[in-house]
Amino acid sequence: MKVNTTPEAGALAPTHYPRRSQLYRQHVIAGARFEEVAGSVVVAEYIDKTDEAQQAAKLALVDLSTLSRVGFKGAGAPDWLEEQGARLPDSPNRARRQGDGSLIVRLSTDEFLFLCDLTSDSTFTARLWDSWSFQSTKGVYPLPRADSHCWFALTGVHAPTALAKICGIDFHTHRFSKSEVAQTSLARVSAIILRDDLATTPCFLILSDVSSAEYLWDALMDAMLEFQGDAVGMVALRTLTTN
Amino acid sequence: MRILNCPLNGERNIAEFSYGGEFHRMPEPSNCESASWAEYVFFHDNEAGIVTEWWYHNATSYWFLAERNTITDEIIRTFPASDIFSDRVDFGDDTGSGTK
Repeated sequence: MKVNTTPEAGALAPTHYPRRSQLYRQHVIAGARFEEVAGSVVVAEYIDKTDEAQQAAKLALVDLSTLSRVGFKGAGAPDWLEEQGARLPDSPNRARRQGDGSLIVRLSTDEFLFLCDLTSDSTFTARLWDSWSFQSTKGVYPLPRADSHCWFALTGVHAPTALAKICGIDFHTHRFSKSEVAQTSLARVSAIILRDDLATTPCFLILSDVSSAEYLWDALMDAMLEFQGDAVGMVALRTLTTN
Repeated sequence: MRILNCPLNGERNIAEFSYGGEFHRMPEPSNCESASWAEYVFFHDNEAGIVTEWWYHNATSYWFLAERNTITDEIIRTFPASDIFSDRVDFGDDTGSGTK
């Protein structure tokens, strides 16, 4: 579909940046206002929608695909990461918040995914990336994840019920604890889903193969319709975080 | 719906998994006969009874082993490959020029 992505004069637009979400055309059509976060753009809010924070507290979907993330794996990865100051989750399929706000997800005994915080202020991930070298770091292999996965957040009290329509895992908060991770099939595509609540609001971060980004976004939007879910921007997430 | 207990991810719909074939010990590639290598690579025993098989969790690219009764299709147990393999297999020449 041909989309006019020419920004209005003075407006921030994804096309001004070399790095953009696979979904940016859909966001433009939906009337997104964009903001810059760490050298790329995210949806700040949708112009014709009111009270996105309230929407996010009920049920909403946010595109975080342009935020930074990276992975490391290998038999030497746990020891090396701890030497670098990482506080690793104790077991696979758990996540752990770091001092700078970033999140470490343990995908297996020897594989880790690092997600930046919502403002992308965390520097730990970039520092790790700079510290690694093939010659000096034996048994540790970096995994560039920024271009391999899309990244969404599904928020709100109805999020577990919406997920139940397209996934076999029970994400209700009394069954799926905070910082728990599921690597499973979501709408028939493989996905990493982790619970990372925004203060008291349930929030599930979803990462999936980037080639399925548009399909998965549409599948999640469709699953949310029954519960009046909608897309929102980063401003709503930050509002809920501070509430 | 059949459930398979993945050693890494726990109980999941069997649709999340792929069958990886019978488990057999690999002969030493540097000094085995071609016939035994061919047997390992190409042939299955196809036994009726409890067999050990490779299974693969698609979402995590995770290989593990399962004991299954091929008569009743009952899965007896699943366990990580690290229970059997503790060391990385060394194929010697990693340039590809030394293949058999």
